[in-house]
Amino acid sequence: MQSSRDGVPLTRRQFVAAGAMGGAALAVGCAGTKQGNWDFLNDPQARTLAAICDQIIPADDFPSASQAGVLTYIDRQLARHYRRHRNAYRDGLEQADAMSRKRFGQDLAALTVPQQLEMVSSIEKENSGFFNLVRSHTLEGYYGAPRHGGNRDAVSWKMLGMAEPPVRGRAQYDQRKSPAS
Amino acid sequence: MKSSLRFMAIGLGVAALLVVGGTYGASYYYTSQYGQGCASCHEMAAYVGAVHSAPHRTTGCMDCHEASMATKLRHMRIHIFGTVPETIRLRDVDVLAMTSSCQKCHQHEYANWHAGPHSATYSQIFADPAHNSKRILMDDCLRCHGMYFNGSIREVVEPLNMKGPWRVIRSRFADQPAMPCMTCHQMHREGAQETKPASRISVAGAAVPDSLAFYDRRETLHFTAATLSIPQLQDGARVVRVSQDPRQALCYECHAPREPEAGSVAATNAWGPQVGSGDDRTPIGVHEGISCVACHDGHNENTRASCKTCHPQMSNCGIDVEKMDTTFANSNSAHNIHWVKCTDCHQHGIPKVKAVAAVKAKLQTTPGMSGF
Repeated sequence: MQSSRDGVPLTRRQFVAAGAMGGAALAVGCAGTKQGNWDFLNDPQARTLAAICDQIIPADDFPSASQAGVLTYIDRQLARHYRRHRNAYRDGLEQADAMSRKRFGQDLAALTVPQQLEMVSSIEKENSGFFNLVRSHTLEGYYGAPRHGGNRDAVSWKMLGMAEPPVRGRAQYDQRKSPAS
Repeated sequence: MKSSLRFMAIGLGVAALLVVGGTYGASYYYTSQYGQGCASCHEMAAYVGAVHSAPHRTTGCMDCHEASMATKLRHMRIHIFGTVPETIRLRDVDVLAMTSSCQKCHQHEYANWHAGPHSATYSQIFADPAHNSKRILMDDCLRCHGMYFNGSIREVVEPLNMKGPWRVIRSRFADQPAMPCMTCHQMHREGAQETKPASRISVAGAAVPDSLAFYDRRETLHFTAATLSIPQLQDGARVVRVSQDPRQALCYECHAPREPEAGSVAATNAWGPQVGSGDDRTPIGVHEGISCVACHDGHNENTRASCKTCHPQMSNCGIDVEKMDTTFANSNSAHNIHWVKCTDCHQHGIPKVKAVAAVKAKLQTTPGMSGF
């Protein structure tokens, strides 16, 4: 790529053009890397995963798994500490939707709640490795520390009767000397 | 040789132009359209989405967040190398910088907060000889003071002993507030914008301001006031009637009672946390059941105008309540306003007949009150 002028590898014009093209490529690359609010999942995968997680922990007096942020937890971990499980999730979610379409003609997330329960029971039998993985991660997200994205507002800890953050005074600041204390 | 030097100079110039121009160009792009540009970087999408559900939805990111060249380059580096933390949080210096951003719009609230005890600085809290000569500072202090500080108590103040003299290690923090706005307020959360109600006197809108939330240093998260706990308290064996106002749940996070000490009467009898233990100020006596915010202003904690909210000028005894012998009138009074009871003064019982007669007599002589 020898230039015809001055014997330098690039002319000034070529250099600036290359820089501009590189910048444009970087911008396009950045814009195209990700869509939606997820770090790893895409929106259809997230919908399918939410349906499975909500059958593992459905809503009652307390929020369901997805309402408590379990998807956020799993997604963040798949982008970080649980990278090794990415293929398991990709394949497992794809297989779950394929099973659902074969039996009910629709993706898992589009089914009624009883149909979803039936499908998740089937996944538990036919793809137990994936099901056990999702169940473990769902429980981690629901009962783990809120700082990791799940257990929104420490809802599961409140369900267990634990105040979070704990109300905790200290003896040296006693305001009132009660005969009882 | 000469052309190589010229080429290098041009290269350096172009590189500098790209960095500076690109960074400022990117800033303009990212700050446009209420943060939609920021959200196009996927790490930020969830955070921008959250603020779009909040009352600050029409506020641009840079209206609140500091964005120096160093910050922009840091963000760029993190984005390119993919070293995004699991949860994106502001650094301690960013939180302090935001306090002045809050002030730009909320000047009245800022002035009130600045006039009150919750605007105490790192220096006032952590380098206080009166406190430090009696108690050794510890990491748990940071739970309620300096909760945004990125480090341990050893990095806040030295020396960690009871001899002193003490100084705040990071000098730029010394005169900064240890409990900034975001201690009790959360910005990126759901909440409706305030609108003019249909009726002139309205009960519409949230009873508890959506922004009220406690920043938990351990979880590096805000917990909304509605999700916080209000403790059940006892006065000896008696269960105290505690206001269930969710706003005061925020106060309890720091002005908290404690479990009875082992060997105490309360522990022996398996009673719960006692009123007035720890830093608790739950009212009992004549004010039992009243919320903290019924008397204390939310930003400066002033109670000056609170008595008149509920009391007629004269009490049942015919004495002006603001002049009674309590800590409201005199901070040295033996009768703490939080716990004062009728029997504190009427130690031989409350003279009901006399009290009624006195009030009636007073009402007769008060203009406009004789019809009562």
